[in-house]
Amino acid sequence: MPHKVFLSFLWPSLIVMILFIALPIVSVVYQSLHVEHEQIMIVGETCGPFGCTEEVSVDAEAMGKLREEKPAGRFNGLGTYFNESHLATDEIAEIFATSADFREFRNRVMNLPFYNALIFTVSYTLIVTPLVMLVGFIIAIVVNMVPRLFKGPVIFFSLLPMIVTPLIGSLVLFWMIDSRGVIGASLQVLFADPTLSLKASPTLTWVTLFTYGVWHSAPFAFVVFYAGLQTVPQDTMESAMVDGANRWERIRFVTIPHLMPLAIFVALMQLMDNFRVFEPIIGFAASASASSLSYLIFNDLRISNTPLFGSAAATSMLTIFGIIILLLPVLRQNWREFNRKS
Amino acid sequence: MARLQLKNVNKRWGSFVGVDNFDLDIADQEFLVLLGPSGCGKTTTMRMIAGLEEVSEGEIWLGDRMVNNLEPKDRDISMVFQSYGLYPNLTVYENIRFPLRVRLVPKEQHDEMVMRAARMVELEDFLDRRPAELSGGQRQRVALGRAIVRKPTVFLMDEPLSNLDAKLRVSTRAQIKNLQSKLKTTTVYVTHDQIEAMTLADRVVVMNKGRIQQVGTPTEIYDTPANVFVASFIGSPAMNLVQGRLEKGVFQGQGIRVIGLRADKSGNVTLGFRAEDAEIVKTDGNISAPIYSIELLGEASMVTWRLGGALVSVRANKGFRAEIEDVVQADIPADACHLFDTETGERL
Amino acid sequence: MSNPAEKRPLPLKALAISIVLIWIIIAAFPFLWTMWGSFKVEGDFFSRSDWMNAVTGPLTQEKHGSTFTMEGYEGAWIEREFYRAVINTAIVTVSVVAVSLTLGTLGGYALARSGYKYSFWLLMMALVFRAMPGVTLISGYMLPFFELNIWGYLPTAIIVLVAMNQPFTLWMLHSFFKSIPRDLDEAALVDGCSRFQAFRLAIIPVMWPGVITTGLFSFLTAYNDFAVTSMLLSEQNLTMIPQINSFLGSSQEEGKVMYAVAAVVSSIVPLFVFIMIFQRRLVSGLTAGAVKG
Ligand SMILES: Nc1ncnc2c1ncn2[C@@H]1O[C@H](COP(=O)(O)OP(=O)(O)O)[C@@H](O)[C@H]1O
Ligand SMILES: [Mg+2]
Repeated sequence: MPHKVFLSFLWPSLIVMILFIALPIVSVVYQSLHVEHEQIMIVGETCGPFGCTEEVSVDAEAMGKLREEKPAGRFNGLGTYFNESHLATDEIAEIFATSADFREFRNRVMNLPFYNALIFTVSYTLIVTPLVMLVGFIIAIVVNMVPRLFKGPVIFFSLLPMIVTPLIGSLVLFWMIDSRGVIGASLQVLFADPTLSLKASPTLTWVTLFTYGVWHSAPFAFVVFYAGLQTVPQDTMESAMVDGANRWERIRFVTIPHLMPLAIFVALMQLMDNFRVFEPIIGFAASASASSLSYLIFNDLRISNTPLFGSAAATSMLTIFGIIILLLPVLRQNWREFNRKS
Repeated sequence: MARLQLKNVNKRWGSFVGVDNFDLDIADQEFLVLLGPSGCGKTTTMRMIAGLEEVSEGEIWLGDRMVNNLEPKDRDISMVFQSYGLYPNLTVYENIRFPLRVRLVPKEQHDEMVMRAARMVELEDFLDRRPAELSGGQRQRVALGRAIVRKPTVFLMDEPLSNLDAKLRVSTRAQIKNLQSKLKTTTVYVTHDQIEAMTLADRVVVMNKGRIQQVGTPTEIYDTPANVFVASFIGSPAMNLVQGRLEKGVFQGQGIRVIGLRADKSGNVTLGFRAEDAEIVKTDGNISAPIYSIELLGEASMVTWRLGGALVSVRANKGFRAEIEDVVQADIPADACHLFDTETGERL
Repeated sequence: MSNPAEKRPLPLKALAISIVLIWIIIAAFPFLWTMWGSFKVEGDFFSRSDWMNAVTGPLTQEKHGSTFTMEGYEGAWIEREFYRAVINTAIVTVSVVAVSLTLGTLGGYALARSGYKYSFWLLMMALVFRAMPGVTLISGYMLPFFELNIWGYLPTAIIVLVAMNQPFTLWMLHSFFKSIPRDLDEAALVDGCSRFQAFRLAIIPVMWPGVITTGLFSFLTAYNDFAVTSMLLSEQNLTMIPQINSFLGSSQEEGKVMYAVAAVVSSIVPLFVFIMIFQRRLVSGLTAGAVKG
């Protein structure tokens, strides 16, 4: 296809992607280097019946003008990246110097918003991903064993937790684990502890969020693995039987190797999805005990009247940086494969 | 109807050369077959003629027009694709009519033209079916019908028979030959099957690795292969090729000696002969060695030796019997031998 | 089944069936429970005394004379004007699907037939955008959108959702078009079509399975989106998901949680229907990525 024809098909897509993907990235970079204007103070005299007093106040008019001229704020270089709500280099150094032991060091670092969010995000990603794959694999294996009749309905119900968006899905669970909700109340009876609440302790909140994550994503792993199980090579399976392999050995040496590429695919998708976790934090009203990188950005932007654009942009850049580190092995492998092929 | 010229045509993808300096003049009304192993650049050549692939270098002339920069639709060709490219949502009738519709042929002529084409490819009874409801041979004929419904300057066919079973292939082959001689349209036909090439072609172009190896009538190609590649590619079974030395008209290889060859050349040569040109003898054979295998073909037996690294086969009459490892002799007439330079592979 | 590889001892079968049943309950029970409960009053759905009340609904009976009440739905849909959000969602999803697919089929077709090796870069881009949290891009949109005065309107959110979804859409459709033999459109080209005619006459009639599958995913992205719509839409233009979120704050205070429950159920029901109709395609779409990527 000549280039001209090619472009005549592709240009609408290209323009949309340039305008709304490429430029915004530039905009994020730009904004992350800027910070909100400092308040311009004005000294005014207010005169009353008892004489005049001098008063210092924000000059709204000048501020408005300044905002209009430079909406992104003033240039701050990399300042935002290193301030106390992001990488907090000074604070870390100070905590490192003054902490007595590792426990204290950890607790104080956990109080820094960025590190708190980073640690939650990474824990969530690293814990939920393998669990999702394991649960999905088990369900796929057992669903493959039940009579054909059940398979349709099982798949139908399995898709629900995945298709329903995380905010709604987590709300549904949130109402159920409320101490007056069915799960919350049952747990209280089960542990004979009438004050038990999953919302109260940070640890329990984290566990709740992780559980939600597995519930939400296991169907995806299930569906992919289940489809893979349908294409397990029957010849190999039968020759393994002839060779005398038992049920477990057949799973171990035929089924699992066959599913391996799918497992890598699921792992990759899950790493990406779990790294951006944030809706469950809102759904479970868990922001007091847990926060994620995406949630930090959301929070900065949600402040009405004066969203912290610079701060949000800096967190965004750091998040993108994290994603690139996460994806680097995958990108590199793809690149190698691409070079080998051509 | 027109003459088709390819002038030093090249196709490259990056550093990979798909077609290398293809230079050929195809006469009006000629049936030309491009023959070569899979991946040698036949399809690419044909797609360049059709305008589906850009030419990297060189010129393509259709009649008196240089068509390099013309869209496929402006080249006035028709083409039969390997997997037919039928429109699955249209009936046979509509499939055949499609070129007339998009080329804005006056509507009132359509019916007559479609019916004429359908008659030629014997599809009158299937006009209302969709491609999915047809057998492989019928689909193939729809593709043919769509190609002949109008009078293009050139027909291009890319392995049109390769998806048919062996029997159907023979009858459809005859049908194509017959159609072409009736329509008298210049035709370029791509195949990797040498029998198709031999039976159909006015001239055959043998290709390998993007290059033309030899151009000639089927007889020329069979009788005087230009190099080792053509020799080994044409004929069934393939020509026997044995390496050895030629000295004063005598060829000496491991387990084989032929005298009475041309005396004007000497050195390392490859000797070629066809299985059916040699003969099993009791004594004084050119080959005398223990045999590697014997295969009964029904109408004959095929005796095979292993000489040096090469397998050499000779046709014996059907009553011939021998055990593996028996020493058997064969006579090779000197005038049935082909000599090739071992280094370059070219015919001496 | 007679195939010996499929034969299993009975205990194993029983175990398998019980695991499957447990899983179904885990997966589906929360939704069914909430749907059922949405027709009760708050005192029943969140019962201090006995969770069975949510099933039987004694307080609902007491208050409304029936164990079912539409109170939550009336409150959400009429009093809180949830219907506006529903209309907005309908506009957003329909437009996103239509625009995404229009741009995507044209672009995906060109990429599949270009002959140049764009597919690698496309895959990488699709991958990176799949990985990038949506919110990171949103921080890039807000300020320019405020400045240009296009913040808050439905078309803005629509085009942003289309753009963010475009690499994935292109990738899906491109692999799909690759699976259509190129003989088909090339036959049309030599038969006398221009590229656009070949696309229209030869490709469009056979592309629907792939387009529908891709469309399902566009639909889900648009329908389920929270990040983009909650940030880029003004209060009166909110779609269902962000609207539910903004319900939460106010309704919890006023003791009108049931409004939110009713709204949540209203947003889930269409998905039920959606899965029921498109189950097969969804599954094949989910796995297509695994096979091709
Ligand atoms: N679009 C392309 N990009 C790179 N290489 C190609 C492309 N199309 C064909 N080739 C290569 O060119 C060579 C010739 O292909 P082709 O003409 O299809 O062979 P054949 O003789 O079997 O029809 C093959 O090695 C093939 O891999
Ligand atoms: Mg070919």
